[in-house]
Amino acid sequence: MPLLEAANLRKTYKLTRNNTVEALRGVDISINRGEMVAIMGPSGSGKSTLLHILGLLHAPDANHGPAPELRFDGRDVADLPDGQRTRIRARQMGFVFQQFNLVPTLGAVENVALAGEYAGMKWSGALTKAAEMLAYVGLADRHGHRPSELSGGEQQRVAIARALVNEPALILADEPTGNLDSKRSAELLDLLRRFKEERGQTFVLVTHDAEVGAACDRIVRMRDGLVLEASMALPAAA
Amino acid sequence: MRLLRNLGRRKLRTTLTVLGITIGVWTLVVFGALATKINRLVDGGSQYYAGKIIVSDASNSGIGLGTVPMDLAVANQIRGMAGVAAADPQVEIPLDGNANAAFGTPNLIDGAVAGADKGLDSFTPEPAQGRLLTAGDEGAQVTVLGSDLARKLDVGVGDSTKLNGVPFTIVGILQPTLLSPDTTAMVPLAAGQKLFLATLPPLLRGTLDASQLASRIIVHPASGTDEAALATRIKATADNVSAMTSADFNQQVGATTMIFNAIIIGVALISLIVGGLSVINTMAMSVAERTREIGIKRAIGGSRIRVVREIVAEAGFIGLLGGLIGLTLGALVVVVANEAGRSSGLILFELTPATAILAIVFSTILAAIAGIVPALHAARLDPVTALRYE
Repeated sequence: MPLLEAANLRKTYKLTRNNTVEALRGVDISINRGEMVAIMGPSGSGKSTLLHILGLLHAPDANHGPAPELRFDGRDVADLPDGQRTRIRARQMGFVFQQFNLVPTLGAVENVALAGEYAGMKWSGALTKAAEMLAYVGLADRHGHRPSELSGGEQQRVAIARALVNEPALILADEPTGNLDSKRSAELLDLLRRFKEERGQTFVLVTHDAEVGAACDRIVRMRDGLVLEASMALPAAA
Repeated sequence: MRLLRNLGRRKLRTTLTVLGITIGVWTLVVFGALATKINRLVDGGSQYYAGKIIVSDASNSGIGLGTVPMDLAVANQIRGMAGVAAADPQVEIPLDGNANAAFGTPNLIDGAVAGADKGLDSFTPEPAQGRLLTAGDEGAQVTVLGSDLARKLDVGVGDSTKLNGVPFTIVGILQPTLLSPDTTAMVPLAAGQKLFLATLPPLLRGTLDASQLASRIIVHPASGTDEAALATRIKATADNVSAMTSADFNQQVGATTMIFNAIIIGVALISLIVGGLSVINTMAMSVAERTREIGIKRAIGGSRIRVVREIVAEAGFIGLLGGLIGLTLGALVVVVANEAGRSSGLILFELTPATAILAIVFSTILAAIAGIVPALHAARLDPVTALRYE
C-alpha cells in the first residue's frame, strides 16, 4: 500500500512580473511504505520542488490544469492549511538537507531534541530521546558540541538523528551527501539503509550522486518538470 | 535558557537595547517617585486644609507663607461671627530665612496657642519623643521639632537650640509625617510673635506690638456651616483679608499638580516608547539574521505560533532586564538624593512598590509588544525560501 500518492502536481514560480518558471508540469508519483526512492535529474528538472511538495513545505498549484492529488498515509493533504501541514511535518516526517541546517546556538543533542519538542514531547523527554538517537548514529560523545564544532559528516549525522527522532513514517532528504566526501557518503547511506531495514521507514532522496541512486530500491528520473521513467524496483541491496 | 543564548549572540546589540529600556524605566521610576512625593504633599495640603478656612492678609499672594502681619483683633472679630467654632491665630515664618526651596517643604517656625483650635483640627501630629506643646507653654521658650528638622539640627529632647538666633529648649520631637510638619519647629504663639516681629522691616517693626501679631488665622467652621459661604462672610466682615477654603486650595493646587504630573509622566513615557522602538529595531535585525534558522525550524515542524512566541519572549526578556536595571538605578537615585536632601529637609522622591511594579510590568509588556511586529514577519516567512537564505 502506497504511503504517498500524488497526481497532476504542478508548480509555477514567479521570478519577476513577466518571468515565471514551470518547475513541475504535471507529475504523478507513488511511493510505497518501506521503500527507499531516489529522485534524480539535472539541475532545474524540478526534483527539489517535488520534494518540497511531497514534504508539505509547499502546496501544489491548484489553479490551472487538472486538480492536483496528494495523499499521505491515506489522508488527502493537497490543500491543508499551514498549521495542519506543519503538524504533519513535525510528527510524521523527517527532513535532511544538503546544508545540514542545524541551529547554530544549540548543541547536538538540543538540535535533535528540538524536533522532538515540535512533535509534542516535553523538553526533558525530548533530550533523553535525542541522546539515544545520537548514540544510534554514533555521536554519543558529541552531545554538547555546537554545529560549528562538528565536522560535516558529524553534522549530517546529527541532522539524520533529528529527522528520525520522532520515528516518522517518511524521511525526505535533499542532496544529503552533497557536502560529504565519498567515504562519509557511503557511511551515511549505510546508516539510512540500516534505518530502512530495522525500522521499515520510507525514504525519498533527491540526489545527483549515482552511488546514492544505486543504493536505493528505485530511481525516479526527472527532466524539465516531468517524471521521465520510473525504474523498476531493484532488488533490495543486501 | 535557549532564549539567553539567542540574546547572547549579539551581545553589544542586546546590551544597547537593554540600555535603551533601562533609561526609559529609570526616567519612569525617578520621575514617578517625584510625582508621588509631590502628590503626597498636595494631598497632605488638601487634608490639612480640609474643613478649615485660612484667613490671611489680602496682600499675601497665592497660598504661600503669610508674611504680612495681621492684628489679633481680626481673630477676635471672626470668633464672634455666627458659624465659627474656633479661630486660631498663628504665626508662620521661615526658619533661618530658608523659605525659597523650589520643591518639597521649606523649614518653618509655627507659633500657635496649643488647643486654640478647640480640638477641631483633624491634622494632629504625634510625638515620637517628649511631648506636644500645651497652652501652659505660652510665655516659655520651648519648641517641638519635626522629625527631619531634629535630625538636621542633630538634637534631642532636653537639648537647647537656636531658632532664628533665639534659644529654645526642645520638649518634644514629632513622628515622621512625610509632610510639612517634618520640617517645622512648633513654638508657643508668644514666642513665635517675637520671632515674627524680628523678620519684619525695621520701619514697620517700631509701630507694631509683638503680642498682637499673627500671620494667619485658622478658622474652624461650626458643624453644618457652609465653608464657602462663611469664607465670603469673613471677607465681607473683616477688613482687607483673604479667606481660603479647602475647595480653593484643591482648585488652585490641583490644576497645577495635574499639569505637572502630565509633563512628568509624559517625559517618562516618551523615553520608554523610544526604548520600545529600539526593541523593534533589535528584534527585526535579529529576525533578519536568523532567517535561515527560522526556515529550519519551520521546515522540521515548528509552528508559526512557536516562532512568534520565541521572538516575543526574547523581546519581553529585554524589557524585563531593562526594567529591573532601570528600577535598580532609579531606586538608587531616589535613596541617594533623599539621603543627601534629608539634612536640609529636602525630600524630593517617594518610590512606592506600585510605581516599581508598574515600571517593570510596563517595560516588559511594551518590549514584548514591540517584538510582535518582527515576530509576525518571521512567522510569515516561507520555509523553503528562508532555508535558501544566506
